[in-house]
Amino acid sequence: MHDIADLESRGLIGVFVASDVFVEAAAAQSASLGFAPASVFVQHPIQDRTDDEMRVLAEKAYAVLVERLTTNPS
Amino acid sequence: MPTLDELRAATINELGDGIHAFVKRDCATCALVAPVLASLVHKSVVQTVHSQDDVAFPKEVAAIGSITDDTSLRRSYGLDIETVPTLVRIENGEEVGRTVGWSIAEWSSFVHRDLVAEFGSLPSWRPGCGSKNLDIGMPEKLAVALGVTSVRSRRVELASAEDEHEAMYARGWSDGLPLIPPTEERVLRMLTGTSRRPDELVAVVPPDLVDCTVEKVAINAVMAGCKPEYLPVVLAAVEAACTSAFNAHGLLATTYFSGPVIVVNGRIAADIGMNSGVNVFGQGNRANATIGRALQLVIRNVGGGVPGGIDRATFGNPGKIGFCFAETESAGWGSLAEDRGIAAGVSALTLFAGEGPRGVVDQKSRTSESLIRSFAVCLRSVAHPKLPIGFDAILAISPEHLRTFQADGWDRARVRNELHALLQLPGADIIRGAGGIDEGVPEHLVNAIIPKFRPDGLLLTHCGGDAGMFSAIIGGWVNGVEGSQATTVEIDPWR
Amino acid sequence: MPTLLLDPTGERSVVERTQNERPPSLKGMTVGLLDISKPRGNVFLDRLESLLNESGIATRRYIKPTFTKPAPVDLRHEIARECQAVIEALAD
Repeated sequence: MHDIADLESRGLIGVFVASDVFVEAAAAQSASLGFAPASVFVQHPIQDRTDDEMRVLAEKAYAVLVERLTTNPS
Repeated sequence: MPTLDELRAATINELGDGIHAFVKRDCATCALVAPVLASLVHKSVVQTVHSQDDVAFPKEVAAIGSITDDTSLRRSYGLDIETVPTLVRIENGEEVGRTVGWSIAEWSSFVHRDLVAEFGSLPSWRPGCGSKNLDIGMPEKLAVALGVTSVRSRRVELASAEDEHEAMYARGWSDGLPLIPPTEERVLRMLTGTSRRPDELVAVVPPDLVDCTVEKVAINAVMAGCKPEYLPVVLAAVEAACTSAFNAHGLLATTYFSGPVIVVNGRIAADIGMNSGVNVFGQGNRANATIGRALQLVIRNVGGGVPGGIDRATFGNPGKIGFCFAETESAGWGSLAEDRGIAAGVSALTLFAGEGPRGVVDQKSRTSESLIRSFAVCLRSVAHPKLPIGFDAILAISPEHLRTFQADGWDRARVRNELHALLQLPGADIIRGAGGIDEGVPEHLVNAIIPKFRPDGLLLTHCGGDAGMFSAIIGGWVNGVEGSQATTVEIDPWR
Repeated sequence: MPTLLLDPTGERSVVERTQNERPPSLKGMTVGLLDISKPRGNVFLDRLESLLNESGIATRRYIKPTFTKPAPVDLRHEIARECQAVIEALAD
């Protein structure tokens, strides 16, 4: 999250991806940073997933990621 | 958020009817009257003794348990105690009187008892000491702690992991250099520099045309590093900048080099420690550096005028972060403010849309006739030697150069008239194409004589260090309806 | 006690720091894919990369030396030079 905050301060648009066990920690970090970067949470667990399962997670996250990086279609 | 009146009423309510004494241990008079207080408390004549620094003092009263802890100074502040000891009488929920310091006669009258009989051996009177709520910095601290301020600006809460300096940068408040964090306490302290109310409107600031109050100027003045005594100058500068004559909006939006240049005249300059001498345009003097910067921050933060936004200057100049100096008035050569119609001795400032200074070297002229020609030929190049009328300029004459004019008895009017006379430009020299240069005035002016500067376009100042046969020119932005006019305003040090 | 500062601005915008303005689409942009070096993240990013490329969006891959610290400044400079958008993955 700090990396995304830093890169946004350099003019980039950024989003970080984390597993959903991070939801609360991310909120707390945002509060203490004073900045809430764009985020997408994917379903835990991660470590013991197969490659195919990881690809499915990526496909499911893709649309939301693009949404976080572009203006919402009206 | 309570007002001062509400706090006072709440304090009176809390104390209740009776006579209340305020003391501090660190006060010889309070120590002197300790036995008197003990006796009066014992006889239920005095209700409570409020101690500002030590609940064990006076020990005689502590022994009978009638001391209240006011080390937070909340009650002292609420009742606006200025001296200790003070006796306050509250009747039917209102303060009906108070006595300050020690006087056996006054105390006897106040408490309706003859104290001479019992305490005649004490000195008959003693002045009190300063009440602790008036210690340096305490009024502002207490105002903030008790929530009793008339501050109206939005409060920005920093996140716990935010460094306060990074936080200000991240919010875009900075001109690139570090800022002093504008805490409420610092802003309240800054506001002591003016008798104007914080919510008074100073100006409508371009480009966003935002109402700017005294409070908003004070916040930016804190960030710039100003002292409270600089605030009247900053307020005057903001007023001047936001006039339609000065045209801050146009100045911001131009691609030209210029930014606001502040020239200060009058007693206030020395009073607040401004520099008019050595390195007058350079670094090192807090007042010079921070007053100019405060104006820039107000335009940036209140008005929304930021580089890359409305500010599209091709180059800008280093003075855009702040350019403010005082004129030397001890040479008996008048002042810029007087030139511009301000009565002698009145503090004032002139705001000019100027670029960075350029140097004029003349180490050989021994006569005014020669020196004036050096100035004229250098002034010709303001903006471009072939461009007349449209640009004003400040000529800053150094002490060594001024000596030459004064030796020949040349006053400001003479210097100005001579310069205008020497700067009548033949059309043939300045039309487009003349000298192989495309820039210039329209060809039909080939036979005209055109003045380099419009009649009011040359502003003379005297400043700089004593050594150095140099002077300086600060070229201006375009004048006229779409440009900027130099603007002079009075500075009221009590405002 | 949180630090409270008085707002020096004209108060025309929100007090909180906001994300940068988003473009209508990612077309023509280069998207950086920053791997934080936790296991499986690379597979996730591989798939994102393919999906982006299939949509005609250019990508570049980067990897942090460790997920335990912020990215080194050189890496951040590189990403900022080469990309206009960045996706960082995958924290778990």
